[in-house]
Order: sequence, then C-alpha cells, then structure tokens
Amino acid sequence: MIEVENLTVRYGGVTSLDGMSLVFEKGTCGLIGPNGAGKTTFFNVLSGFVRPVSGTVRAFGTDLLALPHFRRARWGVRRTFQTEQAIEELSVYDNVAMIDSPLRGAAARADVLAAIEFVGIDAPPLTRVGTLGAGQRRLVEVARAVAGKPRLILLDEPAAGLPGEETAHLAAVIKSIPSYSGALTILVDHDMSLVSAVCETTAVLDFGKLIASGPTASVLRDEHVMRAYLGTAEVL
Amino acid sequence: MTQTTAERKTDTTAAGLGWAALRRRDNLVRFSVITALLLFTLFGLPQLLSLYYTDAMTQVAIYAIVALGLGMLVGRVGLYSLGQVAVLAIGAWAAARLLFATTQPFPVVVVEAGLVTMLLGTLIGLPALRLRGLYFALITLMLSGAITVVLATVNFPNGGRGFTGYDGALLHIPAIRRPSIAGTDAAYFRYAVVVAIIMFALVFAHIKTRPGRAWAAIRQSEPAALAAGINITFYKLWAFALASFITGVAGGLLASADRFLYSITFHPQDSITLLAVVLMGGVYSMYGAVIAALLNSLLPAALQDWGVSQDWLTILFGIGVLQVLTTAPAGIVDQFPKDMKKLGRLLWRLVRRPVTAAAPATPGAASASAAPSASGASRASRGGTT
Amino acid sequence: MPSWSDFEPFIVSGLALGGVYALSGVGLVVLYRATGVLYLAFGAVGAMGALIAYSMIQAGTPGWVAWIACILFGGVLTLAYGMLFGPPLAGRDPLVKAVATLGLTLILFGVMDLLWSSSGGQARSITLPTDTGGFTVAQIQVTWTQVLSLGLGVLLTVGTGAFLQYTKLGTGMRAMANDRVITATLGVPVRRVEAAAWFGAGVLGGLAGLLLADLVALDATTLTFLVISSLAAALIARLRSIPVTFVAAIVIGLVHDLLTPITQLTDYRDMTPFVLAAIALLWVSRHGTVMTRSREEA
Repeated sequence: MIEVENLTVRYGGVTSLDGMSLVFEKGTCGLIGPNGAGKTTFFNVLSGFVRPVSGTVRAFGTDLLALPHFRRARWGVRRTFQTEQAIEELSVYDNVAMIDSPLRGAAARADVLAAIEFVGIDAPPLTRVGTLGAGQRRLVEVARAVAGKPRLILLDEPAAGLPGEETAHLAAVIKSIPSYSGALTILVDHDMSLVSAVCETTAVLDFGKLIASGPTASVLRDEHVMRAYLGTAEVL
Repeated sequence: MTQTTAERKTDTTAAGLGWAALRRRDNLVRFSVITALLLFTLFGLPQLLSLYYTDAMTQVAIYAIVALGLGMLVGRVGLYSLGQVAVLAIGAWAAARLLFATTQPFPVVVVEAGLVTMLLGTLIGLPALRLRGLYFALITLMLSGAITVVLATVNFPNGGRGFTGYDGALLHIPAIRRPSIAGTDAAYFRYAVVVAIIMFALVFAHIKTRPGRAWAAIRQSEPAALAAGINITFYKLWAFALASFITGVAGGLLASADRFLYSITFHPQDSITLLAVVLMGGVYSMYGAVIAALLNSLLPAALQDWGVSQDWLTILFGIGVLQVLTTAPAGIVDQFPKDMKKLGRLLWRLVRRPVTAAAPATPGAASASAAPSASGASRASRGGTT
Repeated sequence: MPSWSDFEPFIVSGLALGGVYALSGVGLVVLYRATGVLYLAFGAVGAMGALIAYSMIQAGTPGWVAWIACILFGGVLTLAYGMLFGPPLAGRDPLVKAVATLGLTLILFGVMDLLWSSSGGQARSITLPTDTGGFTVAQIQVTWTQVLSLGLGVLLTVGTGAFLQYTKLGTGMRAMANDRVITATLGVPVRRVEAAAWFGAGVLGGLAGLLLADLVALDATTLTFLVISSLAAALIARLRSIPVTFVAAIVIGLVHDLLTPITQLTDYRDMTPFVLAAIALLWVSRHGTVMTRSREEA
C-alpha cells in the first residue's frame, strides 16, 4: 500500500502537484489526466528526481522520500519512461541486469533471465538492444521493471508509439505483473482501453489536483473526468 | 542430463554468459587472433625492427594505455578530458622521483605512480564531476594547463635532493633507471607491452562487469541509470580513478623509456592531439586505443625517419577530428571488428565442414552444433519449442 | 616584496593585455550565443593572421595593408569554417561543436609551423606605429599601442552591447541565442545572422592576434594559447554577460602582469587564467547539477 499525503511540487511559478492525497491499495492502479496534469511529476517524486515542497509518501510502511534517489531502486522502486530508455549499446541481459537488485550471484542471473522470459522477448539475451525494434525495446524496459524483487512499479505511457498488436501483448504482460512479482503497479497512459483492460482502480489528476479515484469503470464514466479531458460541460 | 524448458531458459551457461562466453564461436576466434598478434608483437617484432623503431613501438605501447584511458572516459562515460597529457606528466614525475629517491623494485614504483595519479585524479574529479559536457571538458583544460605551468617551473626530477628532486646545477644528470630484467631497449619494449596488456585486461574486466553496464547506462541516459539505482557520481568517479591510474602507470613507463624527462615532452598541444587520435581511432572500442597510439607515436617516428615534416601529421589529425565528428562517430575502428567477424565466420565454416561430415545426422547433434551467436539460427530453434 | 614603483609599469601593460582579452572574450561570447559554438580556434586564427601580416611587411607591403589583411583573414577564414562546418554540426551538443574547432586549431597549427617554421632563425615581431610615442602618467610610461588595446577593448565591449541591443542584426543574434528554430520561424534570416556572427568573431580574432603579436610575441604557440585567457574571461561570465566578460578580462590581464615583479610567484603567473577560470567554473556549479527542483543550463 502506498499512502500519499498532501504532496505539493513547485517549479518556479508553476505548481505541478497541488496538495495531492491518495492511497494506492494493491494490484495495478491507473493514473490518468490531461497533459500537464502532473502525472509524470508524481512519478518523478517517487523516483527521487524531484523534491516536493511539502507532503509525505509512505510506501509499505517506509518513508519513501527519506531515501536518497539511488537507493530507491534497491528498495524496490522501478520506473519506465515516456521516451525510450533501453540502453542501445548493451545486450538485453545487461539492460535488465543493470537494476540495483538485492539478489546476488547465481540467483541474480537466474532472476534476470526469468524476467526476460516473462515479458516474452523474441531474441536471445545477448542481443544488442540497438538492433531490436521499438516494441521489443519496451519489453526490455518492462523486464527491467520486474527484475530484482520490485515493490513499486511505475509505468509511464509504456504503449506510446506502439502498433495495436504490440500494445495487446504489452497489456497482457502488464496484467500479469502483480501475480509474477507481487509488486504494486501504477500505470500512466492516455490509451483508455489499455487502462481499463489492465487496471482495477484508477485515479485522475487535473492541474496537479486529484479529481477522482476508484474502480476504473466508474471513474472513466465520471463527468468531472470527462470535463477535464474534453474541457466542456457536456456529459456524453 | 536433460533440462526442463524452464530450467534451460534460466541457465546462464546455455545463454552463453560469463565464462561460458568463451565457448561462443566468434569469441573464440577473436581470442585466438588477438593472442597470436600479441605473441608476435612480443617475440617477433623486436627481431624485425631496428632500434629506432623499437623505441617508437615502446612509445606506442605507453600511449596505447593513455589512449585507452581517454577512450574509456569519452566513449564509455561521455566525459571529454582535455588534459590527459598533464595526468601522464604527473605519473611520470612521481615515478621519476621514486626511482631516484628509493631503491624499490621497478614494478612497485610503477604501481605507486599509478596510485598517486589516481589519488590526484579522483581529488580533482570530485568537484569537476558536477559539471556537464562542455564545462567539464573546459575545466579539465584549465586544470591541466595549470599543472603544466607548475611542472614547467618545478621541473622533472633529475636526481637532485629535496621534495622536487630537481637540482638545476647538476652537471652530470643520471638517467632514470629501468627494471633489472629489462635494461636494453628491446627488453624494455617487451616489458612495456606486457604492462600494457595488463592495463587493457584491467579495463576489459571493468567493461564486462557491473561498472561497464553502469557506464553504458550513464552515457546514454542518466535518468534511466538513476532509475535503475545506479549511483552516477560514484561510477563517474570510478571511471576517472581507473583512467587516472592507468595513465599514471603509463607515465611511469614513460619515465624509464625516455630516461630523461623534460617539460617539452608534455606539451599542452599534445592533449589536443591525443584527443584527436583517440577520436580517429574510435572511442567505442579497445582496438581504437591501439590505433590511436600508432597514429600518435609510430607515424611521427616514421615521418621523421623519411624526412617528412610532422606538421603534415598535425594537419591530418585536425582534418581527422572534423571528419570523425561530422560523419563517423565510431572512427576508423568501426569497420575493423565487422571485417574481423566476417573473417572469423569464413574460417569457422572452412573448419566445420570436415567435422560435420563425420558426425551422425541426429537432432541432438544438430542442436549441439547450432552455435547461439547467430541470432537468426537460435530464433528458429526457439520458435520450434514455443 | 617589490615596491609600488616596481608594479607601476605592469598596471599599464596588464590593462592593455586585459583590453585585448576583453575584445576576444566578447567575440567568443557573442559567437557562442548566436551559434552554440565555443570557437577555440580563435587564437590560432589570430596568430596566422599576424604571421601573414608579418610576411607581407617583410615583402615590402605597406603596414596598413598588411594589418587589414590580417583582420580580413581572420574574418574570412572564420566565416568559411562557420559556413562549412556549422550546418553538419548544428544539432549536436556544444561540446562536440567546441571539439570540432579544436580540429581547426590543429590544422592551423600545422600550417603555421610548416610555413613559418619556429626552429632556427631569429624571432619574428610585429611593430605598430603606435609603439613609439606615448605619454607619461604619474611617472609610468604608456605607449599608444597600450592605449589602443585598452581603448579598443572598451569600445568593442560597449559597441557590441549597443549593436546587440539596438540593431536589427544584433537583435537577430540575441533571438538566435535564445532559440534558433523559433527565430527562424519568425522570419529572421538565420543563415545571414549566423554568417555575420562568424565573420564578426573572426575579425575580432584577427585584430586580437595583431595586437597580441605586438604586445606579447609573434609566435604561433604563444598566440594560439593566449585564447585561454579570453576563454577564461568568457567562462567567468558564464558565456552570457558581456560586461562581466570585460571586467573579468581586465582582471586576468592585470593579475597576470602584476605577478611579474613578485619573485616567488612570477614563474607561476601563466597559471592565472587557468586558476581563475577553474575557480569560476567550480563556483558556478557549487549547488550541483544532478536533478534538482528545476531544470538549469549547464
């Protein structure tokens, strides 16, 4: 369980997150909202790239904000980015092994190979990632996310730029993450069909504020959410 | 001893990781070729070359280490150091001082010189690493400039007493001593090559393990590295320390190679030339360091021998920098591994044909001989099992 | 510790040197802002221009023709470099662009040593008519060349500031420093503005080379590496502020020369630009640049 309380982030004159308070229970949670709503900022706070002006985050009992950013991966935070971050020069294996995991030696190696197998990458582990296509590279990033005993997995628009069938495979993989790793997963995306297929609960941000949260199906029908996305008072 | 599908998928040996990588066909070929070349260099070259060129090749061995350090910083971590020659000078200074002042065995002195240089390099690196890209390069330029001025003033040790070990009034300046087993120029050449091999092995070991992965991640995407829990400052500092260490060792070798050290040996222009040849040789590969050293130390010697002005080389290097930066960032050496791979495959095919002709055509034998390096072949076999 | 009168002549020479550093530093900063290129070949270009002028004078050409040739050479060569190598490197990191200019530096270095070999023969020099004659201020001798150097430094700093602020071309350069792509969409003739920036920087380089050859020495290596002092001044100004570049340049020139009579430090005075620049760089980065609350430029 992740408890966020009164989180505020400011960049100069802009308030990216405004007193956000939310509880993520377990399984896979969606986080949606129009562009600039603060979703990536929230992830940046969890990853430790950005320091909030105020607020706390308690993750499974630990005060997450007290951990320095490079210790969070060892603790169990995993993150994928909107833009591709698979390291081209390294092999699939090395990309996944890069994660600072608490496992050592043979157990670590087996865990890496198991993660690669889990996401279903269609190439041998020693293939250089630079030679793989976009969909495969995304899978490498997801494999990195499930390696090494993760506790909190943050997926930032993982399906961005992928064609339909690769998105379907990705959705299936994301859906099985909780059963494979036991980690709490938060998914940010604009693809509503992906979100509704994968997430049990969803929260909605707009202008840095939380405007709705709850079971995905009802949240997606909420009129406030529609208004935030469409900018009109029309209820569809 | 058959494995289940699940066990096989997580078996690192089958995946060809770690030491099992040696069994991969193309790695085996590469390893054999390199070993053959090294043996030839150690034992064949000194017989074939004149003393003049043996000395030049000693310089090549030394500058190969320096180029390796710089290439590692630039190519692996993305740190452009414009002052590696100053680092080399520090190593040479420390080694000369110790060789004159103590009777410690040569290898010990060389390692000590490396450690001193590493210490200084890390101390300087620590504040400098807060700077990015251009500013980092500029501060290395500034610091090395300052060091060059100090060294020119303080002079290199020449057997005198005192901290600096320099006595301007000395009439007979002793030569810097050499290891007892390698007094002659030919023997010293071999000694230098062996040290170079050790340094290359040291860097190779880093690249293939955790630091190498961290450096690759840092160079491409610091956010991804951070998110993976990599302590960026720590790994950058490690790269800096390693590069400083090996450059310091190279400095130690240089002191005994030249036997007399002057500040003119470490001209500030040389840092620029060094960067130029490292870029031309190719920063992404260790072979590039060797090519860089050949450009930096063998070509000038050859030109001098043939009576051609070395200015043409300087001009060539300038053009080389422009060419590499505007077109081929991977340098001359980009083509080489690709060509070597093709050669390796050709050789393997020639060797394998008589072998498979004798083996029985069973599915077991077929899967055993399907080497996992060609991704196309293994994908076909994996497609068969899924 | 030397007396005040020992320092006096060095105040003047330091100011003169500082004036030339200011003029070069300003050129570096404006060009960097307009194109993203830190023109490290600045010194080499000036050196070669000065050597060309020297050869012309040796061959009998009237002085003023040679000097104009030197200045023009700087402008034309720099413009040619900018037009040839600007576009292919345009999108790259400033680091790559700066290293590319090091390539140009090497080429010029090689050519200079080839054509004007430094081995053997007597030292070369350039004399300007302003070297003879001058005046005395409080018992310190001042030559017109020194006045000219400081004066040009001041003039060009003020002039460049005004140019950037009030002329169309200058405004174009400021816009490009901010964002090249947007500037282009505004209809500013980006290529023309760039060409002007390159040419202008080159002209300043030629001028600086001429003056430094007179004030210091006509030697390729010395002149090429004197760019470090201007570079240091530009870095202290964070490659941004022209007034700060000016002040920093004067300070560097003064400190360097004022160390001359101090016997314990005189051998180390060439460290001045390096040390000052290093301190400035470290000071600027003291808060660290790893992911903080807001994004900042390097």
